[in-house]
Amino acid sequence: MSGAAHPLVCRDLSISFGGVKAVQGVSLALPAGKVLALVGPNGAGKTTLFNLVTGNLRADAGEATLDGESLLGLKPWQVARRGVARSFQDLRLFTHMTVRENAMSATERGSWFWQAGDAKARAARVEEALAATGLSDLAESRAVDLAYAERKFLSMARILAAEARIWLLDEPASGLDLSSRQRFAGLLRAANARGITICLIEHNLDVVAELADEIAFLDRGVVLAVGEPQAILRDKALAAIYFGERAA
Amino acid sequence: MLFLQLLLGGLQTGALYALTACGFALIFGATKVFHFAHGASFTLAGYLFLLLWNNGHPAWLGVLAAIAVATGFGVAMERFVYRPIQRHEGGFFTVFVAAFGVSLVVQNLVGMWAGRGFVVADSSLSRATEVLPEVFLAPVFWVSLAVAAVLFLALGIFLTRHPAGVALRALSQNSDLIRAYGLSSHRLSLLAFALGSALAAPAAVLTAITTGMNEAVGHHVMLISMAATIVGGVGSLKGAALAGLSLGVAESVVLNFADPQWAEAASFVVLFGFILFRPSGLFGHAVAR
Amino acid sequence: MTAYLANLATLAAIFGILAATLNVAVGYAGIFSVAHAVFFGLGAYAGAQLALLVVPDALLAMVVAALVAGGLSLCLALPALRVRGEYFVAASLGLQMMATTLFTEAKGLTGGMGGLVGIPRPMILGVEVPTLALALTALVLILLATWLMARGSFGRTLRAIRDAESAAEALGKNINAAKALAVAFACAGAGVAGALFALHMSFVNVESFTLDQSVLIMAMVIVGGTGTLWGPLLGAVLLLSLPAGLSFLPFIPPTEIGAVQQILYGAAMTLLMIFRPAGLLGDMRTGRKA
Repeated sequence: MSGAAHPLVCRDLSISFGGVKAVQGVSLALPAGKVLALVGPNGAGKTTLFNLVTGNLRADAGEATLDGESLLGLKPWQVARRGVARSFQDLRLFTHMTVRENAMSATERGSWFWQAGDAKARAARVEEALAATGLSDLAESRAVDLAYAERKFLSMARILAAEARIWLLDEPASGLDLSSRQRFAGLLRAANARGITICLIEHNLDVVAELADEIAFLDRGVVLAVGEPQAILRDKALAAIYFGERAA
Repeated sequence: MLFLQLLLGGLQTGALYALTACGFALIFGATKVFHFAHGASFTLAGYLFLLLWNNGHPAWLGVLAAIAVATGFGVAMERFVYRPIQRHEGGFFTVFVAAFGVSLVVQNLVGMWAGRGFVVADSSLSRATEVLPEVFLAPVFWVSLAVAAVLFLALGIFLTRHPAGVALRALSQNSDLIRAYGLSSHRLSLLAFALGSALAAPAAVLTAITTGMNEAVGHHVMLISMAATIVGGVGSLKGAALAGLSLGVAESVVLNFADPQWAEAASFVVLFGFILFRPSGLFGHAVAR
Repeated sequence: MTAYLANLATLAAIFGILAATLNVAVGYAGIFSVAHAVFFGLGAYAGAQLALLVVPDALLAMVVAALVAGGLSLCLALPALRVRGEYFVAASLGLQMMATTLFTEAKGLTGGMGGLVGIPRPMILGVEVPTLALALTALVLILLATWLMARGSFGRTLRAIRDAESAAEALGKNINAAKALAVAFACAGAGVAGALFALHMSFVNVESFTLDQSVLIMAMVIVGGTGTLWGPLLGAVLLLSLPAGLSFLPFIPPTEIGAVQQILYGAAMTLLMIFRPAGLLGDMRTGRKA
């Protein structure tokens, strides 16, 4: 399970915080051009897993590889430059910048006074991202002035503009109403069609059922099951864990 | 013997630094306010004592007045400067600038009113006698150590026994916890400012009768308190006190071999080193970033 | 009178450069340095020594000053990358105090308290030029550079880092490099101001590069408004004309002007922070984050 079929692979990733094993021995492979949903109760280690892949946390053991190359020891910005984009549960928008600047900033990776590459192409990508997320009309509003759903879409616009091959999305659809959710689903489908591989943390099982091609079920830092959505969602034992009735 | 003399002199200075630093650390720990005007409490207390003393008032009155003015200043700062800024969700830099502004005002007002340069309260306490061959000590040495010891002991008892003291300690660990228990964090932060500022007063009085005050002394005291708090580890009063004591000793030793300039610089080399290599300080439990 | 005004204008331009460059660190990069006078001093000593020992060429002096100050900005960048908030302010205070001592004691390089005297008049290609023209040109160029930077991708990167550092990093931005570059730019600018100052005064000593001076520059930025283009310049002009204005008031004895000035700008800093933390020209909606 590597190579073209699975661009991003985790092997035996483990980390503990002060004796608590947040993630232990997690092995997962993201299927290329598909959506893998991470599902599990709070504290299952889903966001921690993202942080391990993106270099925000250093694993005690195991490694993550991108196209066969280890991401071990890379800084978050280096991981990002290899084509992995992520969103945050609390969004972390650039609040005092406009919507357009937020997206624009996602295309600017150079830390020098100017950017290498084609400025026009970058500007076009920004407008595309804003159009795709329905934010074109709000391009000059500041992020801090946006409504809840618009902020969520701005977070997606940054990822679209960043031109990554792998998206790690932390609860991107939580709190969205039905029509926004459908718009969001459209974004992911379009991304898949362009060959983008997506890993999604999501609590709403309806959203998961609608979007995921594959589900990984985590609990207490361990992957309990990986498989087809229907199989996982119908599993009674997993449902019991998910809804808080611990099967001993 | 020279070394012993320097060590003892350093202990005396250090004990006073420890008191002021501990006050600063108490305020910073409990309220997360970087009380940069802490030195102004010190200046005001010292000069008020000098004024009363030189006009022939009894020492106890001067000491009480010094404590009152330091405490009052700290409380006023909390109430009229820091709290309004925090209401607007001002960041630490806003707080820092405001406090710096106040300390400039105090320093220059004092300079205009009391004159610039050193003033010392002449007292029999500061007359040194030879206690060992070539080692001179003034009674104020013992007074300084005793005052510091008694105050630290009292503070320790208050923070561990009295409910308000326990709440203050809890506040420095976790401010959400306090809110959850329904304690008023406003009143606690006033208490922290009152206590922390009061600790600067005895140190100021003792400084006034030994080395003397000048209008810029608050600046120096403030920088030392800040350095001691960070080197000692934010959140640790013990650390701040110990670091203050060591900075005093180090200063006294360096002073004998080099210009006074170097003594202060030495403290800042230590501070700079700690910030670069061990930002959590000696006893800190949390890393700075 | 003309000479008096020209002197004031030159100083305003020099302090305008200082405030504008400090603003890059404070207002855009969120690096709250209280050690700007250190780099002002480094530039001044470098420019003065060059003029004294090699050649009094103004352009060369400014370039050398910028290189020295920009290079040594690493002393400020290092703590800026390691710690933030109060810790960084403490670190920059520490740097300022150490530098003051070094400036006083390294007599071979700085002349100590006596300073460096008799710095020759500035020349460009062998022709003597007035310092006012030099300072104004430098100010315009630096303001232009700041403006371009703030509008361009680098300014956006800095603001992104200030708003949400982890998100900026997750988008592939090398945060350490961007911060170090912002600090280097700010410090190099202070160095240029220092060289101009040395050439203008033809005398420099440590008293111009102390903590008080750093605080004055910081006050200029804050009074004018951090993160704005014109704010720091306005602040510089206001705070510099303060002592001049005060000297016209008959009821203040001349010996107390320094103190009254400090009281006024201390009070201004405090009141502004309480009532208008974004400064005179600042955007109230933004406020200031730290």
